[in-house]
Amino acid sequence: MSDAPILLEMRSITKEFPGVKALSDVNLVVRAGEIHAICGENGAGKSTLMKVLSGVYPYGTYDGDIIYQGAETRFSDIRASEHAGIVIIHQELALIPHMSIAENIFLGNEPRRRGAIDWKSANRMALDLMARVGLQEDPDTLVKDIGVGKQQLVEIAKAFAKDVKLLILDEPTAALNGADSQHLLDLLRGFRSRGITSIMISHKLNEIEAIADEITILRDGRTVETLNIKADGVDEDRIVRGMVGRELSSRFPDHTPKIGEVFFEVRDWNVRHPISAERQVCKNENFVVRRGEIVGFAGLMGAGRTELAMSVFGRSYGVYESGTIVKDGKEIVLKSVADAIAHGLAYVSEDRKAIGLNLLDDIKASTVAAKLSKISHHGVLDEVAEYKAAEAYRRELRTKAPTVDESVSKLSGGNQQKVVLAKWMFTDPDLLILDEPTRGIDVGAKYEIYGIIQRLADQGKGVVVISSELPELIGLCDRIYTVFEGSITGEIARQDADPETLMKQMTSTKKMQTR
Amino acid sequence: MRNLIGKSVAIGAIAALALTACGSGRSGDSGGSKSETKGFSADSLIGVALPSKTSENWVLAGDLFTNGLKEAGFKSDVQYAGASTTVADQQAQITAMVTKGAKVIVIGATDAAQLSTQVAAAHAAGAKVIAYDRLITNTPDLDYYVAFDNFKVGQLQGQALLDGMKAKKPNGPYNIELFSGSPDDNNAGVFFNGAMSVLKPEIDKGNVVVASKQTDVKQTAIQGWKAEGAQARMDQLLTSTYGSKELDGVLSPNDTLGRAIITSIKGAGKPVPVVTGQDSEVESVKSIMAGEQYMTINKDTRNLVKETINMVKALQTGATPQVNDTKSYNNGSKVVDTFLLPPVAVTKANAAEAYANDPKLSPLTK
Amino acid sequence: MSRFKDLQKNLFGGTTSNARQFGMIFTLVAIVVLFQILTDGLTLRSDNLIALFQQNSYILILAIGMLMVIVAGHIDLSVGSVAAIAGILVAKSMAEWSLPWPVAILFGLAIGALIGAWQGFWVAYIGVPAFIVTLAGMLLFRGGNQFIGNANTIPVPEGFRMIGSGFLPEVGPSTGYNNLTLLLGLAACVAVVWREFQSRKTRREMDADAAPLWISVLRMAVMVGVIVFASLRFASGRVGTSFPVSGIILVALVLAYSFYTRNTPGGRHIYAVGGNSRAAELSGVKLKRVNFFVMMNMSVLAALAGMIFVARSAASGPQDGNGWELDAIAAVFIGGAAVSGGIGTISGSIVGGLVMAVLNNGLQLLGVGTDRVQIIKGLVLLLAVALDVYNKSQGRFSVIGSITRAFRRDTPAPPTSSSAADHEPAKTTVPG
Repeated sequence: MSDAPILLEMRSITKEFPGVKALSDVNLVVRAGEIHAICGENGAGKSTLMKVLSGVYPYGTYDGDIIYQGAETRFSDIRASEHAGIVIIHQELALIPHMSIAENIFLGNEPRRRGAIDWKSANRMALDLMARVGLQEDPDTLVKDIGVGKQQLVEIAKAFAKDVKLLILDEPTAALNGADSQHLLDLLRGFRSRGITSIMISHKLNEIEAIADEITILRDGRTVETLNIKADGVDEDRIVRGMVGRELSSRFPDHTPKIGEVFFEVRDWNVRHPISAERQVCKNENFVVRRGEIVGFAGLMGAGRTELAMSVFGRSYGVYESGTIVKDGKEIVLKSVADAIAHGLAYVSEDRKAIGLNLLDDIKASTVAAKLSKISHHGVLDEVAEYKAAEAYRRELRTKAPTVDESVSKLSGGNQQKVVLAKWMFTDPDLLILDEPTRGIDVGAKYEIYGIIQRLADQGKGVVVISSELPELIGLCDRIYTVFEGSITGEIARQDADPETLMKQMTSTKKMQTR
Repeated sequence: MRNLIGKSVAIGAIAALALTACGSGRSGDSGGSKSETKGFSADSLIGVALPSKTSENWVLAGDLFTNGLKEAGFKSDVQYAGASTTVADQQAQITAMVTKGAKVIVIGATDAAQLSTQVAAAHAAGAKVIAYDRLITNTPDLDYYVAFDNFKVGQLQGQALLDGMKAKKPNGPYNIELFSGSPDDNNAGVFFNGAMSVLKPEIDKGNVVVASKQTDVKQTAIQGWKAEGAQARMDQLLTSTYGSKELDGVLSPNDTLGRAIITSIKGAGKPVPVVTGQDSEVESVKSIMAGEQYMTINKDTRNLVKETINMVKALQTGATPQVNDTKSYNNGSKVVDTFLLPPVAVTKANAAEAYANDPKLSPLTK
Repeated sequence: MSRFKDLQKNLFGGTTSNARQFGMIFTLVAIVVLFQILTDGLTLRSDNLIALFQQNSYILILAIGMLMVIVAGHIDLSVGSVAAIAGILVAKSMAEWSLPWPVAILFGLAIGALIGAWQGFWVAYIGVPAFIVTLAGMLLFRGGNQFIGNANTIPVPEGFRMIGSGFLPEVGPSTGYNNLTLLLGLAACVAVVWREFQSRKTRREMDADAAPLWISVLRMAVMVGVIVFASLRFASGRVGTSFPVSGIILVALVLAYSFYTRNTPGGRHIYAVGGNSRAAELSGVKLKRVNFFVMMNMSVLAALAGMIFVARSAASGPQDGNGWELDAIAAVFIGGAAVSGGIGTISGSIVGGLVMAVLNNGLQLLGVGTDRVQIIKGLVLLLAVALDVYNKSQGRFSVIGSITRAFRRDTPAPPTSSSAADHEPAKTTVPG
């Protein structure tokens, strides 16, 4: 493989932003027909590098050379790079939900006949492209009506419509469940066999190990090394070492749980979908949380875990139908988020950027946002108290930011997540619900966040962790509930938990108790 | 870097100095007493504040003022109010003229009742205020009023309407509709009352019929003298009242509205009735010569501006300007000394004669 | 850190968003100085300054409410119409039902509150976009104004005119100045100095770099200088004129609302809703209540603005309020608010409004016609916002940033975010 001709070479790429050197002297060599992985912690410069390559940062705004297909190229914008056959598929999909698959595939690239869009041939060509990516849908289906996995395939089909030579995928499987991820990886293998070169940015090291030919590791805006997976015998630990610059002895901090009494109970919980009232999203669900306990919720995407959590958290999702919440032996009624916060609940949402943080705020304001009463006297905010609280959490959680005046939009994903955690720790909750707390976060930061979660439990709080990564649940939780189609299908103690058992219960309606 | 700080400090210092240098003690008592003495210097600033540029007449008046005041040796500042925020603009403009030290301020008011604060300020600063064409109400500080005899205008319109209909159709009863001007314009009511003083006896006799029965000024008024308002109202009248009936005449207070009314009637495919007007706008004179609009009023803006400038000149020398009516125009606070000019009714028959001296209109009448 | 950066950072507060405001204040000063020169000293003469405040206080009052509406992510197109209907009702209440004028003012505010509650209800509880609700309101209340007033002009009594055209009275010994205005100026100076020391204390308590002392002194000197100058100016107008009553109302409102938006949980909530409404909701912010409040508050302020205008014009007329919404919205955006909500300050909007006001006034003093004034104002609005957008898209932060870039020679600060990976951020030192 390493004898194959070089398709792309990026030499000594340096890119500066005001005050920050995002890339310094980065080198990347990609050979034709290979799958080349790029790894690195968040903020290592992966996305910036790809933006330089695809012309988002046009020639002249960076230093260094890009040699593509044997010639130096200077892209002025994305159009130029796409014209050359370089297509980037972003983490946030660039699809228009209210348009059909075919319309999306040919957006900006519509086949025309006498000036008008030729929908007949567009649909025919769309079918052909969809077949190439293994997507079996009617091209007239609206994009919003298909799952995230299929949307990803639409993006790739869209890339093929532009005659792609070099396909760049940024975290392609981050939002996908196991089956969809597997399909996508198979697809990439298929492309390789047809000679299409791919660059893949991913945090999922097992996937990289399974699929990539070569891997380039970035750290702090510099190239650390480029490894050949087979020749160098690369495994996950080796990659991690390259990324963080040290060995991580374990992915989870050592922890001895100190579990107390049951203090929080949800009984016979029934919730309907906010728009289509006939759909029941939570069906008669029951669960308990003990003090000092970390409770996991395992389930496939769409199983109703987030919906359950949010509906408990002050009915912030769906239409409440029936069910009771008992805390410390007393029934409580939480009709609003404010009620929930007042009763000591906290919910760290799945999507930090969309619903977890106000990205216009600085760290200070974000930290205190959920409990302003704590820093005000007679209805007037105390700036000093605000600053001190935020600063204390910044130190405690080791949030990497120069000061708490820094805007949260400038932080990396892991540090943003720490700010969200601080925001909810600031409310002094008894029960913290963490929805996908480590999604999109790099290995080092994950480890720290696990530590924070464990410390919170040790303070006698109950912690609920919702996660799609089974190893994470197994490594972190004292007890795990499995959820399938809006029902809790099982409850597994830590010592009995293994991926197979969990997966079985996550995909079956049959209730089983293995307490 | 240091250099920049130096610069900015220097700039700040200079600015501060400049500012304080011109600050001084209190500018005496009201300058009003000064103007009582004897006129003002012959090259003083004269302010002219006119309504928005939506009618040819105001634009013409502005040009005439600019040139006329210049010829008389004055400095002039002629301003129009903006199209949407008229009242506030005019208030600000008058205040700016006072600030600039205008000795006389001529005001064609956008809203006759909303300028008393500014007129008072002008008076207090020693400026004389002349209301041009529109009487400013509710202020004791207005000095003079120059206008055409607007009641007479209405009478001429009413009479011409009757004459015109009689000429077309010797015997009544005649169906007519009534339009009046913007309710915030003091003159609109005067026109309407003048016209009604002629029409009312005929209506009472049954010789003239307002078929829509809309005779109240609230129903006939067109806000802001807007053409589209008149056209819309005429459209509705035609639909509601003139499905089968014949419309013989329309009392329109001015040319802009008159033409809008004719447009509406032609749009409905009906014969053009006798329509009155006022202001002698170019398009209307063309329309009269073409036999569509029946009449207009010639209030020669030249004469009105000339009289106003004469007043300014008199004030400059310290003399009392000539007025010819010291009884009729009570603005709510005082009776204002007024100079009235007579209007002239113009139809196709006398157009050539009436516009003989007007370089723009006389060619149209040949 | 260079001295210039110190200055830039500290002159008008400490946070980055103030950089934009600094730019606007710079622009305002530049425009004032420009017109002061062009008009041969008329711009800053007492009578003109007084007139400037009287003419624009109602627009600036609208800008306060509009800022909050825009920060919350909405817009209010109905303010002119609301002002007009409140104005006509208040005028009628005094002319026909002979309400005493103080009661009439309360009545006017109540009308504003009622209309605001109506609009707030649709926006907050039914979820109709504010653009639509207030577009409807614009028609509704304009029509209401004409229906009630029959498009007539209704004069208002002398006492009521105070709020629009009144001045601080002359009291005390004859000093050649208006004594109350001088006292007001003195109070403002004391407040500025007190505040500066408070904020230094606060910064110290935060263990943060307080601005170097020379900057504090400079800042105080500049502000005290401006206040002294302004109060002398306002106090030395023609006898009987001084600082206008409408200006006092405006200043009181600016102070109260600045405090509310900056220093109370309620104010924070408005920014939170505008920045990310879903995140705010999940943080326990009562979304509906906030939206209802900003819409209702806007209408109350619109009613107040309407009354002040009526008082100044001595009568309520059918043209009142025409186009005011545009002036208020322009002021807010020139003052640095974001169209998408979440960003903006009261003081910024006031500065934005003053930029427009001084431009208007200066051009009028120069005898430039309204037609051209409108063209210039339109271009200024477009350029101010475009420059800001352009600077942001270039990764630079502000207007002033681009102005001063040429002067910057320092190397960029070390990478801030995650690349400062393993070491703790340097401990900040506490100066003097």
